[in-house]
Amino acid sequence: MKTLYVIDNNEKTNYKYNIEEDTIIYHFSINSSSDVSIDMSKEDVTLYYYYNNINYDDNYFNIKVNHLVDNTHSEVFNHGVNVKTNKLKYNVDGVVIKSANKCICNQDNQIINMTDGKSTICPNLLIDNYDVDSNHAAYIGKFKDEVLFYMMSRGISLEVANRLLLNGFLLNSDSLDMGKIEEFVNEIERI
Amino acid sequence: MLKLENLSVKVKDTDNLILDNLNLNINNSEVHVIMGPNGTGKSTLSKAIMGHYKFDVVSGNIIFNDEDITNLEVNERAKKGIFLCMQDPTVIEGVTNSEFLRTARSEITGEKVNLFKFIKDMESSMKDVGLDSSMLHRSLNSGFSGGEKKKNEVLQLKFLQPKFIILDELDSGLDVDSLRIACENINNYIKENPETSVLIITHYPRILEYIKPDYVHILMDGKIQKTGDYSLAEQIEKDGYKMIGIDA
Repeated sequence: MKTLYVIDNNEKTNYKYNIEEDTIIYHFSINSSSDVSIDMSKEDVTLYYYYNNINYDDNYFNIKVNHLVDNTHSEVFNHGVNVKTNKLKYNVDGVVIKSANKCICNQDNQIINMTDGKSTICPNLLIDNYDVDSNHAAYIGKFKDEVLFYMMSRGISLEVANRLLLNGFLLNSDSLDMGKIEEFVNEIERI
Repeated sequence: MLKLENLSVKVKDTDNLILDNLNLNINNSEVHVIMGPNGTGKSTLSKAIMGHYKFDVVSGNIIFNDEDITNLEVNERAKKGIFLCMQDPTVIEGVTNSEFLRTARSEITGEKVNLFKFIKDMESSMKDVGLDSSMLHRSLNSGFSGGEKKKNEVLQLKFLQPKFIILDELDSGLDVDSLRIACENINNYIKENPETSVLIITHYPRILEYIKPDYVHILMDGKIQKTGDYSLAEQIEKDGYKMIGIDA
């Protein structure tokens, strides 16, 4: 599977991809905004898109995955951490056109507010075909009390529990090449 | 070891009183069992001892080894040696079993956990509880079956070395063989650490065939209504709660 690493740091970026082979894109963002457009233009191809971002100022992330042909499969995971009282907005579009049959189009969006930041997630599934498997999920809030209780019940302090959860949340794939995302890993330590 | 003095507990931000002036004294090396019909406050009791965020202690005290821990943070209670083996262990995505256990041990002991020793210890302990060693590197309880989650609780118990163990419905979700393995591990732990005390919360006496209790208490209406020995659990199994004068 083809693997791409993208890191944004305090910038506004635009990305356009045409996916013609199985691909994983790891997109790490530090206090940045991005527009991403992806065309799934070859049959039987799968895309995994992992977007992980840390925000201190107002930012947005717009991503649109267009399923243009049959049997294309997309899994989009967007994980953001809102550190201050800033605004963070995700607009996540999964599009399946009428002629694209048997597609899978899934998205999972989560934003953790460390303080009282304002966050919005717009998960949109724009499906024009009857034979599609498509799901979306969205969560905005703090780390759940039941998770923190469980960790603390094993002797872990609240601070260390939050740190462990942050690492797991922002580095949410088993197969990351840490050497390629050192800048982002260091930023997690600064939160 | 653990003393509950006139303990009254309600659900946070409500007037719903669950435990009402409850008294219980558990000495070193004793195994106590709390039984009772559904909704009588058995699990609330275990959570209140641990300091769960959904409950408030209205009055009374929780004394652990002569220290009042009623207002102590959850992690501080764990560091003093209290371990709650949960009825439905929480799934934590992104945090591996391995880093969770190493962090917990290091927080409790104040010492860094040697990675090589940890892996060697875990290989053996996971085999003992019947878990595949690959589970060490998976997100905590994620994708685990009900039985695997319970075995993972027992694994944590063995590794974190508590003084006081609360087993909140360990038997739910475990088949007969898995329950036997889990209980054998707990019994071995008690044998190696003979001062350990255990509080078992259960609906059914099946678990008591493996971990023999010194005292059996029946909880009803937020209070302990009756105390006896193992024969009381057998009587409940045979005749139900009505036969001992408790109308469930």
